[in-house]
Amino acid sequence: MFGVTFEFPLGCKVMVDAAIRLLSLANQLVVTTRRVRLVFAEGEAGTMGYLNRMGFFDHLRSEVEVRPARPIYSAAELHRGGNQTLVEIARINKDARDQDLPTRLTAAVMRSCGRRPDARELEGAAWTIFAELIDNIFVHSRTRLDGYAALQVYSGGNRLSVAVSDSGLGIMETLRPSLATEFPKLAHLSDTDLLVEVFRLGLSRHGADRGCGLKGCAGKAMKFNADLDVRLPNQRVLLTPARGTYRPNTAHCYENLPLMWGTHIAFAFGLGA
Amino acid sequence: MLALRCFMDRPDGWGRNQGREVYQRLLRFVEDNPGRLIFRISFKEVQRLDISFASEAIVELAKRFRRTKGFCLIDLSDKDLIENVDAAAERKEQPILVWHGKSAELIGAKPSEGTREAFQFAVTRPHTRATEFATEKGISIANASMKFKQLWEGGFLLRQESVADSGGVEYVYLRIG
Repeated sequence: MFGVTFEFPLGCKVMVDAAIRLLSLANQLVVTTRRVRLVFAEGEAGTMGYLNRMGFFDHLRSEVEVRPARPIYSAAELHRGGNQTLVEIARINKDARDQDLPTRLTAAVMRSCGRRPDARELEGAAWTIFAELIDNIFVHSRTRLDGYAALQVYSGGNRLSVAVSDSGLGIMETLRPSLATEFPKLAHLSDTDLLVEVFRLGLSRHGADRGCGLKGCAGKAMKFNADLDVRLPNQRVLLTPARGTYRPNTAHCYENLPLMWGTHIAFAFGLGA
Repeated sequence: MLALRCFMDRPDGWGRNQGREVYQRLLRFVEDNPGRLIFRISFKEVQRLDISFASEAIVELAKRFRRTKGFCLIDLSDKDLIENVDAAAERKEQPILVWHGKSAELIGAKPSEGTREAFQFAVTRPHTRATEFATEKGISIANASMKFKQLWEGGFLLRQESVADSGGVEYVYLRIG
């Protein structure tokens, strides 16, 4: 049987966006009959404890082997809502749409950032970003696997990471086939350039009067100078804002990455004092 | 006045599907009021709505009735909410007026260079005729009529037929709101 092992050596730190991507990937591999093993060198004292705190193991399929051992109890359940900066991983299940999810995630942002002078603007931006990204999963992803959303405020409130991950059809799989009829001028673009246009112009397989959701998210994130990180099945594209928008010439693309289904989007807001 | 919150299940409008449901309810309300030309949509008690919801529920409604009925927004001061409706309306090339008391803010599609002045003229009075704008600006009536016709076609204004002094048909253009 084909097996995959993820090792977390001493001192290894995992950011929240990486954590939910890892969760999605591990669950995808199990569903496609791979044997998956996570090995934490520091045990619960290290990364494993952090992941447990955010509910990682509550969502990790039971077939995944964890070493030294799965946590006995879920720290997320134990501390629910008690931590100011870390929010538990939220499950996005198509059959049980949680109508409060964007509001709850936004409330978590506000617990850490509510005293900022621009708190109201940040609150509106965060809610819209969660609402649009999560709704996209419901509308586009066509998968039985759950998606996930999570956020964390880092370094004394100066950085906010917002991540949404789904294991369904990737954004390119849904968009590419429609280009010839809907946006013929864009059909020749590389995946990286096309992704920039998805966030810059707003593109949708449903035609020219749709696609404003992701563009709107980018517009909101831009106000906070947010970097955008998108993982596609074989690529990862990093977009940094330049002159009020995302541009192809400031996009970095990592190609030929290991296969990972779906679309995984993370915004990193710079909230410098 | 049309209280949007009464057509929503929750104070938050989230996503395309919810937007479509609310659109159907709004549509029924509009169809049940065939004599009304202008609907002022109140955002009172609406906490948030995202771009996709705004697109499906509000902008779609305005677009569907473009040239025949007008929809404007009131009780809406939250910048973030306005921004979301604006993004949705811009994408569908639909102009929408947001009324703050007696002043109007135009979101979504903008009038062309050539019709901007005519729009400004029309929006500052409840109704107007091309002849009035022509006189004010010293341009031909035909030119003024063309500008107003374009604004009507673009969804910026409504119009009603009336009888001109000469006995022919003349249009009265109405601002939305």
